[in-house]
Amino acid sequence: MDEKLLEIKNLSVAYDESLVIKNVNLDIYKGEVFCLVGESGSGKSTLIKSICRNKYAKITGGEIFFREQCISDIKDKEMASFLGCRIGLIQQNPEGAFNPLRKLSDQFNETVKSHGKKLDKEKLNRIFSTLNLKDMDRILKSRPYELSGGMNQRIAIAASFILEPELLLCDEITSALDVTTAIAVTDELLRLKNDMNVAIVLVTHNLGIAANIADRIGIMYKGEIVEIGATSKVLENPQHEYTKRLLQDVPKLKAI
Amino acid sequence: MKKKKIKAKIIVVSAIAIMLILVTVFADFFAPNDPYTTSASSIRLAPCLKYPFGTDNLGRCVLSRVLYGGRTTIAATFALVFISFAIGAIVGMLCGYYGGIFDKLLMRIADILLAFPQMVVAIVVAGILNGGLGGAMIALGITMWVSFARLSRSHTYSLKNQDFIKAALFAGKSDLYIIAVHIFPNILPPVLTNALTQIGTTMIGLSGLSFLGLGVVPPAAEWGSMISEARAYIQIAPWAVLYPALATVFTIIVFNYLGDVVMDYREA
Amino acid sequence: MTILEGKNLSKKFIDKDKEIAALSDISFTLEEGEILGIVGESGSGKSTLLKVISGLVVPDEGQLIFKGNEYNGQKARDTGRFLQYIFQNPLSSFDPRLSMEKSVLESGRGKKDLVRLYGILEEVGLNKELLQRKPSELSGGQCQRMSIARALYSGADILLCDEITSALDVSTQAQITKILHNLKDNGKLSAIFVSHDIALVRMLCDRVIVMKDGKCVEQGICEDLISNPHEEYTKKLVESAVRQSI
Repeated sequence: MDEKLLEIKNLSVAYDESLVIKNVNLDIYKGEVFCLVGESGSGKSTLIKSICRNKYAKITGGEIFFREQCISDIKDKEMASFLGCRIGLIQQNPEGAFNPLRKLSDQFNETVKSHGKKLDKEKLNRIFSTLNLKDMDRILKSRPYELSGGMNQRIAIAASFILEPELLLCDEITSALDVTTAIAVTDELLRLKNDMNVAIVLVTHNLGIAANIADRIGIMYKGEIVEIGATSKVLENPQHEYTKRLLQDVPKLKAI
Repeated sequence: MKKKKIKAKIIVVSAIAIMLILVTVFADFFAPNDPYTTSASSIRLAPCLKYPFGTDNLGRCVLSRVLYGGRTTIAATFALVFISFAIGAIVGMLCGYYGGIFDKLLMRIADILLAFPQMVVAIVVAGILNGGLGGAMIALGITMWVSFARLSRSHTYSLKNQDFIKAALFAGKSDLYIIAVHIFPNILPPVLTNALTQIGTTMIGLSGLSFLGLGVVPPAAEWGSMISEARAYIQIAPWAVLYPALATVFTIIVFNYLGDVVMDYREA
Repeated sequence: MTILEGKNLSKKFIDKDKEIAALSDISFTLEEGEILGIVGESGSGKSTLLKVISGLVVPDEGQLIFKGNEYNGQKARDTGRFLQYIFQNPLSSFDPRLSMEKSVLESGRGKKDLVRLYGILEEVGLNKELLQRKPSELSGGQCQRMSIARALYSGADILLCDEITSALDVSTQAQITKILHNLKDNGKLSAIFVSHDIALVRMLCDRVIVMKDGKCVEQGICEDLISNPHEEYTKKLVESAVRQSI
């Protein structure tokens, strides 16, 4: 088996004082694409939030390890050296990631500086071209509010890749986008992932997306991971009742 | 959790407010003396058993006058806030719902009225109307409805574009029905909260106008006019100023605080 | 029999001094007992088309015909007699302060027939006790089924469904589509179903119109169009959708 990157052991998380994640165990391996699929309220986003120290998602039990170092009980200050730098996060609304009125170049510089690095223009250019973002200088001179949602999401991806994380957490990054844009963005994300050998955890409600890009899939239901395994195995031979129902309910296009 | 705490606060504060109202409404019962009887033998008496708040320059009982004055102030304030609320809400809902030229015109008038400090407009208008309680109320009301109108308008405007209003249209409901059944009950909570917060300022306004001699005319009791009358001899009989002033400050604090906690409750 | 027809519908909006053609020269027909799908991405004009058909938005040009009678310029209050609109967000489709019963009965235009309403609720799979609740006390799926019940109770001939499942989970979405399917099979439904999800449209509709930038890109039988798209955009759309489905 590959190297373990992230290890979640018996994790329980409370969101707003009610327990939404119960005893979850999850391992993420180096360089894999793992999709966590669930409906609204299943706790999939809360899981991501608890890794990133969101103040609403309180860990009430269990531990999280990153490269065998426990990161669930260290101080916020120490955690800052992991977040952004070694563990990246991209959220559903790209607008939330940037100040809409500030020039992107300033925001990029600031992000990189806050992690004690210098902005490597050449590397950024490579990332931008992989993301099909043409004319990097012009984009860096513009402000997020001037750009489209798909464009902003690509830039958010670029911003998290410039820090060369080992693990990238993506929370519903395509659900605010149109189908054609969503496919383009996920394609580019995978290409970047291969270039830079990053492990990706993608949280989504869309089983279809997961089916097409994931190496492994986890199905989350009512705060628990009810089924986990290689994508083809989960899709072709689902074990849990909920997974079977989900597979039945998803509108299908492939079997034409 | 937080909401429960605020709820307890609301209950306490509104109990105090209701007590204040009851005490003034039943002033006849609580007042130890007749507020209008002058007595040459008991002018400017310090607080004592018979006159707990002392007497004024004409020998009238200050406590009784504070209680009767409170009735005038509180009743006039409530009446004024209610009328402004009614006019403002109706105008605001019509403007927000229909929009168009009518809306633009009224909102420009509102802007103009808001461009002047409320008290300056009130003093000018009360002066033109030659004082009197009615005059003072009109003077304050002329700018007060505007805040209600603007608030109702903005809430109506955002409601109007909601799907349930469109659904009512597809159900063939008339504009009047939609405004009465769907819009009014939904804008009521925020506008009522605004009304509560307006009570304090209105009281200051009314008492202020009376203080300037543009509101309630003596001998009728009113806090502002009592302070105004008694300040001439404040060094000899400070109680004649102190007690109506304290009553004003206390009442305003109670109603302002009530408005604040209700606002907090709605936002929590 | 054609129940609804739109001919050469156009609508322009003015945004920051620029004219934007939200709809240009769209024509369509809806047969009785059929569900017509309209597919497009955001900004394609599919919602505007539905608003134009319903009378919420007046078109600049074109004709709207219901059962042979032109109804151009009629507002929602009148069109509501023969068509009903179901909105994307189920929660905001109901007055938050009213009980479901009050809201649903409104569409009966003054006629109150509880027996009929209970029958309709059964058809959409809702318990009649839910009528006493407020919208915030219902789940999204229950609320959306209530919207369908309200539309059916009005006695309208046509339902206009505007992304009615996109705010819902897949399993809830499946329930809603099942209800529409059953209604269609019982011959009680003629509907226009607007969605961004071509897989969903395929499950529900016979014919589909693909829209982009206010224009009709391609239209035809659902299966044919998906398996054999002619236009470049349709190909791209279908391909993207296939790659996001199982």
